Amino acid sequence: MFTVIRSKEAVLQALASTVNRDPTASDYRFQDDPYLTPKTSSEFKLFSLSQESGRNAAKYFISTYPKYFQKDYAQPHIPCLMPETLEAQIEEVSEAALIERIQMRKVKAAVDLYDQLQQAGTPVSLDVTNQLLDLICFYGDCDPAQENVPEQRNEETEDVQDEPQTKKGRASKASDKLKAAWKENNNAERIFALLSEPNTHSYSALIRGMVKYGAYSKAFSTYTDLLNNQLKADVSTFNALITAAPEVKEKYNEKWELIVDLLKQMAEQKVKPNLLTLNAVLKALRRCGTVGKSQAFPVISEMRALSIDPSLASYNHLLSIFYKPGAPFQGQTDILQEVMNEVSGKSFTPQDPDDAQFFITAVRICLDTKDIEQAYRVHELLGVGENWRLLGNDFQQNIYHARFFSLLCMMENIDVVLKWYRDLVPSVYYPSSNVMRDLLQALDTDNRLDLIPQIWKDLKQLGHGNRQTLVEELLTLMAREKQNQEVQETFAECALDIKKMYDTGDRGKVMMSWTAGSLSDLVSVLLAAQRRQDAWEILKLFKTHNRVPSEELLDKFLTCIKESGDVNQALELVQISAGFCLPGTPKLIQRVQQEFLLSEQQKSMLSDLEIQTFNSD
Amino acid sequence: MYRRLLINIYQVRNGLIHTQNTRLPSTKCKERESFAPVIWAPCTARPLGTSSISFSENKESSTSLSEDKEKRPEENEAKEEVNADGQKSTEISNATLTSQLETEPVDKPEDSKQVEKTKSGKESLLELLGAMKVEVTTVRKIRPSKTPRMSERPDQEPMESTHSMFQHATAEGSQQQGTLNPALVAAVSAAASTLPNRHQAESELLKQLRKHEAVPDTQRRADGQNIGHIIADMKVGGRKTNGRSSARPTSQIRFDDDGKGYTQDRGITGELDAVRRRKSPFTSKRLNIFTAGMEQDTLSVLGPTLWDIDLANQIVQATNQAPRNGFEEMIQWTKEGKLWQYPINNEAGLEEEASVPFHEHVFLEKHLDESFPRQGPVRHFMELVITGLAKNHHLTVQQKKEHIDWFRDYFRQKDDVLKEAEA
Repeated sequence: MFTVIRSKEAVLQALASTVNRDPTASDYRFQDDPYLTPKTSSEFKLFSLSQESGRNAAKYFISTYPKYFQKDYAQPHIPCLMPETLEAQIEEVSEAALIERIQMRKVKAAVDLYDQLQQAGTPVSLDVTNQLLDLICFYGDCDPAQENVPEQRNEETEDVQDEPQTKKGRASKASDKLKAAWKENNNAERIFALLSEPNTHSYSALIRGMVKYGAYSKAFSTYTDLLNNQLKADVSTFNALITAAPEVKEKYNEKWELIVDLLKQMAEQKVKPNLLTLNAVLKALRRCGTVGKSQAFPVISEMRALSIDPSLASYNHLLSIFYKPGAPFQGQTDILQEVMNEVSGKSFTPQDPDDAQFFITAVRICLDTKDIEQAYRVHELLGVGENWRLLGNDFQQNIYHARFFSLLCMMENIDVVLKWYRDLVPSVYYPSSNVMRDLLQALDTDNRLDLIPQIWKDLKQLGHGNRQTLVEELLTLMAREKQNQEVQETFAECALDIKKMYDTGDRGKVMMSWTAGSLSDLVSVLLAAQRRQDAWEILKLFKTHNRVPSEELLDKFLTCIKESGDVNQALELVQISAGFCLPGTPKLIQRVQQEFLLSEQQKSMLSDLEIQTFNSD
Repeated sequence: MYRRLLINIYQVRNGLIHTQNTRLPSTKCKERESFAPVIWAPCTARPLGTSSISFSENKESSTSLSEDKEKRPEENEAKEEVNADGQKSTEISNATLTSQLETEPVDKPEDSKQVEKTKSGKESLLELLGAMKVEVTTVRKIRPSKTPRMSERPDQEPMESTHSMFQHATAEGSQQQGTLNPALVAAVSAAASTLPNRHQAESELLKQLRKHEAVPDTQRRADGQNIGHIIADMKVGGRKTNGRSSARPTSQIRFDDDGKGYTQDRGITGELDAVRRRKSPFTSKRLNIFTAGMEQDTLSVLGPTLWDIDLANQIVQATNQAPRNGFEEMIQWTKEGKLWQYPINNEAGLEEEASVPFHEHVFLEKHLDESFPRQGPVRHFMELVITGLAKNHHLTVQQKKEHIDWFRDYFRQKDDVLKEAEA
């Protein structure tokens, strides 16, 4: 009898694998409500965060007022829908109560209870004490900041009987990682000193806590203490010590020697390293300069020999060792290629928090080395199996796509770029204005300026319609060369659309201000499309915005007027020119006199103007 | 900018391939030559770099040089043409090294055309070969333009060019492979021509190349079809996997150009070769700290500690857990226990009965103990009841027992009535 053991999600997984990404759809999160489909990166951020914070708010209320959420609708019972108990249930002073507080991660309460038990003379088992040590060391002898607490809890919690320390915890959460340091003789050390026979676990907890909270040299002295007590350390202790190794030594050589020493001791104590050991060594090697480059591969080979396969984090560290950001590349082109040869086509499961850094690093190197081939391989790898999960959070995804797309704009044919553009934007990626500028440059390089009106529509949608530099670049590109009639027509429409953007401003966003350059570009675009009347309107804007048109522009305008033979307008143009006191005015006057059929009155007006300008000179 | 350059190059390349295929050197070479200066600029570092390496070698072996020259006068003569061309190219590259612009060597095509006019027969063939050096450099250019730092590894140059050439050879199709390789030879002579004793250097370089060519063959014998293995083992061989087929034509055409003289000085090139034939770094030697089959001391494992939980949590935080479609969301809900599980076999929803063997369900006679009469209509009725229950898959064993118990109670209550009826 053969039965295939399938996981309970097997059917769903099979079904899910039939669904491909739809490049025209937005993220799944936003599909519930089409109104909330994000169009810009800020909207994306806002909507996804608000969804998350809504969830958190609900959780907060459920856990704050559990008594209102006792009705169990689900049949059968679903535990995760019921409020968690956040209050300690066991009131008496006993080991069970201590275990409960440890499980609820109440550091202070647990320590107090432990002290009470000690005073009462009740013995606490070593295992439970070790768990307590774990708890204290993990949180650095502070109560953990409560999760899922809305930001404005200070106002709300005034009338809530909630424990006061969470408020403090919340306030210090941001600075937690920076400021929290291992305090001399804290509760962990005190309780550890009380132990008559600390075992490996106790030492492990203490050393890991010390490393986590920056007491590196203390961690090493604790380790020496452990050795003196004829004990062996465990893998996680070694991992923590390897992480700390670059902190306690100055020179690259010394750092590496310390790491090797630790590894040798692991071998002596018959401790089998794990993937995290490998990653810790590689991470430490990142700070060992040239030593890192020479030792990184032997380390990987060593771990391979122990049948520890590198995870993406290992490869990420490897790439970071060889490609320092900002540093010149010293002939390590191949390392990325070698790494890609290794990882291509493999599906990775997340095993290390640093796994999520790999794709960003790899694509950064591709961008720095302008290596489009490898970039495609990296992108291909992203599509394998569950690798997309390892791209990381929204922020990292955005960085990744920005780098990938910039590289495409730089290296690829515009058709290919546009293919990717349609594929990525806006379903997974909302390009920043810089990336859009890269795209414009790519359009320019390949002489596909006729696509500009389309891109402008996208730009508006992406919320970059009010980026002055970008819009000005767009105008310059449109005005630069003469296109065929059809294209000019769309350019003109686009230019008028841009003008609207200047006029209205977008819902209280920063207003763009006209510059002489942008105005004259606009006028040129309109003139090229034979929209003299629109151009005339724009020309008037020069005056209202205190900008001065260039002589060439007026010259061009005059040529355009001449084609239609509108004498009055020509005169007005000359007057405008005179109004700006442009040095080219006499030339314009001369042209009008020569090229147009003027009535007597007009002639006299011109000569008046001529005298005026002459005098003003 | 990069792409513009590349586009130029591709145009040149396409033109080139065309000429090579049709083998009409006299007419199309000109056209191609006129393209040549466009691509000289970026590859400047290459020939110069190579020469600097081989230069040092040549000093050592300069004694044998004169012999060489005597041995092969005609070849030298023939090669001189190529070299002259190469020399020129390096001069130009020197010039453009400073400017880094394509505009610089405008005068080049005229020069080469003038040279060309004086040639005929074999010379024109050599001309073709010399021109193919253009091809080499164009191909080479593709990489260096993106990755200028590669020029910092001068000792790998000829290889580098072959690599990229082969890569592109596959892209263009196999038809052009035969003609690509003489270009390699030409490239070597171009590189060698920068040296005082260029024939020596050239032959060494060519031998070098031939060694590499031999490498994949041996590799193939060793590993059979396992290309992946080759890739893992050696980067050079790996990248040249498709170069193997093209390797042979190389030598053929090369011998047309320069018959003998490749087989000398194995020693020096052997050394160089060892440097060059760098293995994939992933197969480098290990630290040898741990022993592979190491027994781990069994520490008391107490289940996941706080640290393990936190690690898992960190991993979840770092990765993207957002579902991409409805099914994935349902998977997530299933994992959280919010959703009824999709059946994966016909025992879905039987969790509480999973440990109950089937005979408990089917053979229910044992529950008809002394509390029921041994025979008679009640017994008969109860036998029917347990038959029905045995076939009922909706009830758990416990429910079936309760069912029987209910009848037991019922008949006990009706004991009087039953006795009266003498059932």
